[in-house]
Amino acid sequence: MTFRSQSVAYPYFVVALLLFALQIPVGLWLAVNYFVTIPQSAVDAFPFATARAIHTNLLVLWLLLGFMGATLYLVPEETGTELAWPKMAIAQLALLAATGVAAIVGFLFGWTQGRPLLEIPRPLDILVVVGSLMFLANIAVTMIRAKRWTAVQGSLLGGLLFLALMYLFGIPFYRNLAVDWYCWWWVIHLWVEGAFELIAAAMVAFMLIKLTGVDRRVIEKWLYVEPGLSLFTGIAGTGHHYYWLGAPKYWLWIGGFFSALEPFPILLMVYDAWRSVKERTQPLLPRLTWVYLTGMVIIHFVGAGMFGFAHTLPMINYFTHGSQVTVSHGHLSFYGAYVLLTLTFFYFAIPRLKGFPGRSYEERTGHIGFWLTTLGVVGMTLAFAVAGVLQTYLERALGQPHMVAQQPIRFWMLVVAVHGLVVLAGVLLVVRHLLTLRPARLAEA
Amino acid sequence: MGEKAAKWIFWVGTLVSLALFLALTFDTNRRFAALTHADRLDDRVVAGKRSFERHNCNDCHTILGFGGYYAPDLTRAFNRIGEDGIRRRLEHPEAALAASYRKMPQQYLSQDEVANIAAYLGWVGGIDNHDWPPRDSAARWKRSTDRLLASAALSPGAALVEQESCLSCHTLGGRGESKGSRLEWIGARRDAAYIATYLADPEKVAPGAQMPAFDTLSPGQRETLGEFIVSLAAGQGR
Repeated sequence: MTFRSQSVAYPYFVVALLLFALQIPVGLWLAVNYFVTIPQSAVDAFPFATARAIHTNLLVLWLLLGFMGATLYLVPEETGTELAWPKMAIAQLALLAATGVAAIVGFLFGWTQGRPLLEIPRPLDILVVVGSLMFLANIAVTMIRAKRWTAVQGSLLGGLLFLALMYLFGIPFYRNLAVDWYCWWWVIHLWVEGAFELIAAAMVAFMLIKLTGVDRRVIEKWLYVEPGLSLFTGIAGTGHHYYWLGAPKYWLWIGGFFSALEPFPILLMVYDAWRSVKERTQPLLPRLTWVYLTGMVIIHFVGAGMFGFAHTLPMINYFTHGSQVTVSHGHLSFYGAYVLLTLTFFYFAIPRLKGFPGRSYEERTGHIGFWLTTLGVVGMTLAFAVAGVLQTYLERALGQPHMVAQQPIRFWMLVVAVHGLVVLAGVLLVVRHLLTLRPARLAEA
Repeated sequence: MGEKAAKWIFWVGTLVSLALFLALTFDTNRRFAALTHADRLDDRVVAGKRSFERHNCNDCHTILGFGGYYAPDLTRAFNRIGEDGIRRRLEHPEAALAASYRKMPQQYLSQDEVANIAAYLGWVGGIDNHDWPPRDSAARWKRSTDRLLASAALSPGAALVEQESCLSCHTLGGRGESKGSRLEWIGARRDAAYIATYLADPEKVAPGAQMPAFDTLSPGQRETLGEFIVSLAAGQGR
């Protein structure tokens, strides 16, 4: 830690990790709903829909708090100044965390906007906007006062502004369902394949500069190319969600073409990371940070690039759309692209924030946690994929009724839940490890 | 590649994609009214959409393929089970789904809400979304009906196949010889009129054809044979 105000990042990390730990058991309960018949009285009290709203909103909330914490850590070092208003950053965390908790308690009592992933009720949306404005102002003013601009900052600030702007499209009530989904994807797709990619590229570039010692100019050059290609394929690639919602037919061509190109920027990121590692001037230490970075790069490509491409072409998507195939892709890509990214950053930043000698830390539990979580998520993803292919064949190709086609899927949801238990064990280890990170003993260092 | 080229890639890539996306968004927005027959989107439908959201239906069900994946897709629910089917499930889910291994919560909806949600699903069912989902595809139902109607006239055609000993050269199911094409495969490629013309004079349609002319049959009989052969086409969809 070079600047005192960077320390405000730590409480963000803590809250994010606690919410992450809460997300997993709720997900397990969702899987149980698929293979156990829940009695009517329990369904009346706590429906699947409520649990799903909690599971997904916890994910979004903890990832966003993770990104914000990472930003607050990164910006002082990039600009070479203290944050403009460190106390406001803490107030903003309290506001957003309280809003999140209120939303989740509200879901339990049926208070919801009722649109998947955007369930946070409209009055609370206003608080989210207030919190985001506090955050953006803090970051922007810090950057402007410093008058020192880097590509990392540009990508980060651009991504955050884009993120905040798109959130606004999720707030209004839309009379027409087709228009509703059209705009819904401006939030969901343009976040994960637009704004998040910009933020991720900045975070990765920042870590690579610090960890490898490769010349900043080389890494920043790729920081233009990679997000450039991401946005080129990603913005018009939104069209792959517009195939079957009542939009004109040209979206089948536009969506198919641009999303077929979407794996390339991710491949470029893989190459970029690999090249930086090859040209490093510093040893790859601590090892666990590198395990995370490598895992992130690989699973990002497999989950988002390959699993995404597998069902993005319109003639395939006609059969797979809205099935467990989507669920499979969703889990692996979120894990690879954003969960591992955030965790990598935590492992990168926490030893620095706490001033560990040589930035090394006691790694053992962390490795076990990483492998349990990763193997669990991969196994879960494959089980979802089997369920998805079964559903696609039985319901979409053969034309069986939904509930008949779901019957053989129940077994595969049991397989999902078993892997979910492994994920839960892994995540609890990771969270505990990160929250109680200790410097490495001298003999090991 | 220098830094300048890299900057160019970023700005050109981003702006080209953005311009295309915004232009198509503008056009799509103009055409949504017709594709979703927005003229039928009245206050009851909108009230139904509000109820649908208030009760978080979409986090179990999918609609237009988006949502919870846990319960059946509702895009064509109205076309599939009708207003009564929807009412029964909304009013008494515990009874309607008593035998099901997945339950739907009892939300004690008012009569108005039930009627509005049904109206909403009725409106959604008419959205022109390129015939998705495949299970409710209009084109596939039409093909299946065509086959059903064709097989209703099966016996006269079948009798003609027997009478003219077609199976001494062709195969049908597990019977016949393989000198000529399998009748099911002909049916998948040709229509009845083509087959009728072919029967009258194979040499004229396909010079060098091995098959004799069946010009002793009346045009009506040849037509019947043609329809029978088309009805044998291997099943596509249902």
